Parts: sequence; structure tokens; C-alpha cells
Amino acid sequence: MLTLYHWEPNANSGKPILAACEKGVDFESRYIDLLGFDQHSPEYLKINPNGTIPAMVHDGVLVPESTAMMEYIDATFEGPPLRPQDPFERWRMRWWCRFFDQFLGPSVSMIGWKFFVGPAMAKRDPQELKARIERIPLKERRIAWSKAIYGTFSPEELAESKRRIVFGATHIEAALAERPWLAGASYSIADMVGFSMMAGLPVMHAEVANDAEAPHLMEWLRKIYERPATHKCLALGRTEMMRRFAHLARKTA
Amino acid sequence: MLELYHWEPNGSYLKPLIALHEKGLPFRSRYVDVLAFEQYQPGFLAPSRETQLNQEGEGPVLVHDGQQITESLFMIEYLEDAFAQVPRRPAEPIAQTRILAWARFINEVFMPGANTLGCHLQLAPHFKGRDTSAFEAMLARIPMKHLQEGWRLAFTDGYSDDLLQDSERKVKLSVQRIEDALAQSAWLVGSSYSLADIDAFAICNALTTLTPGIVNKSATPRTIDWLERIRSRPAVRAALATSRTGAPERAFAPGPEHSRWG
Repeated sequence: MLTLYHWEPNANSGKPILAACEKGVDFESRYIDLLGFDQHSPEYLKINPNGTIPAMVHDGVLVPESTAMMEYIDATFEGPPLRPQDPFERWRMRWWCRFFDQFLGPSVSMIGWKFFVGPAMAKRDPQELKARIERIPLKERRIAWSKAIYGTFSPEELAESKRRIVFGATHIEAALAERPWLAGASYSIADMVGFSMMAGLPVMHAEVANDAEAPHLMEWLRKIYERPATHKCLALGRTEMMRRFAHLARKTA
Repeated sequence: MLELYHWEPNGSYLKPLIALHEKGLPFRSRYVDVLAFEQYQPGFLAPSRETQLNQEGEGPVLVHDGQQITESLFMIEYLEDAFAQVPRRPAEPIAQTRILAWARFINEVFMPGANTLGCHLQLAPHFKGRDTSAFEAMLARIPMKHLQEGWRLAFTDGYSDDLLQDSERKVKLSVQRIEDALAQSAWLVGSSYSLADIDAFAICNALTTLTPGIVNKSATPRTIDWLERIRSRPAVRAALATSRTGAPERAFAPGPEHSRWG
């Protein structure tokens, strides 16, 4: 049995869900309320001691890391391939996954957290929040949460994130002008990771993600949005955050 | 044909050198003097988009039939995908996934930590007292801003105490994770030598010199034993023998950046 512990089906949580839906694998969905700090609860830490989401358990075995989970799903289950067969394209798939995971993702989520998580936290009891932060197992995550909760991202940090988003979007646009999908001829895990991280771009960063500046990037987002598997994945969302995806629906004449 | 552009056999450069020798693949070695900035001279290999935007910082480039492959761990995964002989990747999906999970930790925690300490202790002294203003025009050719800044930090030895302490914390955390994994098994993933061992060894090999207070026989006996087992492999000896300086464990150049948040 496959169980996925996830929050809203975007960013890291969206990645394994998208992969499972594309592969046509049945899984048990366990919604973890990130803003309720369910991911640091003692019950959840028994499943994933790092206290991060998503987590994936297959037949009792914890499968680590959201991008690696997607490769695991592809390698383990029957269904359409999610990775190119050609070794060079498979390499390029991994290369783009890392570009999203290490370079673009943190910038997109820093700005996302400032606007979504920070304001949501302002309504909470400060003492309770302090206690919540203290029980986060990983130091990096404690720092991340503190910055989001107390709004202490410096203007320089936010500007650098913005610069990276513009820089990254330009390069995605250029790559997609050369080939239909990021790895090559076929839709792959690289596109799914990209969509999970970047689908909010036309709303959050419209000055770079629009039809005039980035037609290939926009078409790529819309094509992924239209896939039945993507719809199945997004249907697991519960909050206002999911409204950002509606902007990817094509306007009918 | 396989061509490998590499510097001294340490860190990211060491991984493909080991993997190529392990698999017995013939390749043309293109030694690049990274400290002379040969990789940025006109006439050097024209980088592909992906090569220019590497997250690894300075690192090897493999050219296979005209295609450029970068990011050392993905490079050795590529060699597994493209060449079936002498597999160094277990067949089970969970083991392959654990190799990728180690790779992420190594690239985001271990390598930035070890590399910052290495650049501070070994690279910065190389530039001490030298006029580095002439290098500015060369740095402008590097598209990744954090890699430019990595070089500037080395020119000025501008590593803050906070950064050095955090780097030491990351090295300790990583070595402890290796030590703990070796308590369960002789190798990092599954029961045999794999890409995960090559990945971690390439960073760890220099630490007996760089941070002997962290990696030593009494504090980390299993890690020392694992290092010795890997160092004695003929392929690893051949990879380390490509050194021209005679001290590859002292060769550091700016690598992957520290995570910016979370």
C-alpha cells in the first residue's frame, strides 16, 4: 500500500501526488495541516522524524525526499513512464529537478511564505507559536519558520529571491523555446517539479510570467494544468491557495 | 567518445574520475587549471545552458558524443544509465531513491560546509597579497551570481565567523550521519559499495587533512575504516593518481551555495 502525507498539493507536497496521479497509482491521501503544525506533532514524527512534508510510505517503508519519491514511483509501479529512456534526457531531467529544488524553489517559497504564511500566523497566540517553533527537529526548518512567522526576511533577501525568479523564468522560457518539455521530447518528472513550484508565477510574478514575455513558459504551465492527472492532484487542495491555479485555465472565445 | 574536463581529484571532480575507472570506461582526460581560470578563457569549451547554470559551482564537465553532462552525482548516474557494465547502482528502487536522498543532503549540507572550510583554509591563502582586481572582468563572465560571490569571498578571505561556524556544524552533522549509517551496514546504501559511497567519499576524503578534529580514529572509527576501504580500491587509486599537485586533498574551489533559507 502507498500512503502520501501531504499539505496543499503544490510545491514539495504536490510533487509525489502529481507523479502518482500520472502513473495511475492508487494511494491513500493523509492531509497534514502545515499551518496547524501537524507536521511537528509526535504522531507525525513517528512516521517522518525530520518533521517535513511530504512523506511517503510504501508497504511500511518510508521513502525519502520529494523528488526522489517521484523517481521511486516511476521505478516501482506499472504505468506510463515518467522519466525519459534516453540517458542524456534523463540526466537533463535530474538537472532541472535540482535547478527547481535548490535554486528557484526556495526563492518562490520565500516570497510565497511572506504573503501566505506570515499573515496567517499574525492571528495566532505568540506564546503558542514560540513553543511550536521550538519543537521543530531540523535547525534549517526552525530558521525558516521563524523568518516566516516574524516576517524577518530582509529587503535584500526578498530582492535576491525576486532576481532569481526573473532569471530562472527567462531560462525556462529559453529552454522551452527549444523543446516541448524540459528534459526533451516527453513530459517528465522535471516538468512536474517545475509545475509544482512555478504554477503560481503568473499570479505572483505576472511581470515576468505573461504571454508577451514568456509565451512558451505560459503554454507549458497551461498544458500541464490541463492534464487529467493534474486535475486529480489539485482536487486534494483545501484552501484559498488553490485559487491561483484557476488562472491557468484557457479563456474560451 | 568520453572526455572529462576536470581539475584535481577532490570533491566534485573526484566522483566521475572514480566512476569512470570503476566501470573501466576509456576516456580522454582534460585537466583544467581552475586556479588559473582556464575554464573561463576564450576558446574553452562553450558551455551549454545547463552547464552555465550549474548548482554545483566549479565542477567537472563530461562530454559524451558532443553532449555536455555536469553536476557530478548526476554525471555518475548518467554513466550508470548509459553504460551497463560494472553497475555501481543497486537494482532495487528503494536503494536508488536512497542514493538520490543522500545526494541531496550531500549537495545542500555536506558539500557547502566542507567546501567553505576548504576554501577558507586552502584557497584563500593562494590569493593572499595578490592583486585580484584583474579577475573582475573574468568573473563577469560567470552567469551564476552566487558563484561570482564565492570567488570574491576567496579573494578577500571574507568568510564570516558565523559562516565558518555554520560550515563546521554542517560537516559535523554530515560526518555523524555517515558514521551512523556505517553502524548499520558496511556501505551507505544497501549491502554493497555504490554511487552513494562515491558521492560521500569524494567530499570526505579531504577531511582527514582539513578537519582532523572531526574525522579521526577515535571520534569516527567507522568512517576512517570506510575511507581506508575505499582508498584501497584500484579505481580510486587511479583516480587520485591524476593529481598534478600531489596534494589533491588541498584543492578547493567555490562549490554549491549554502541554502538561503530552510
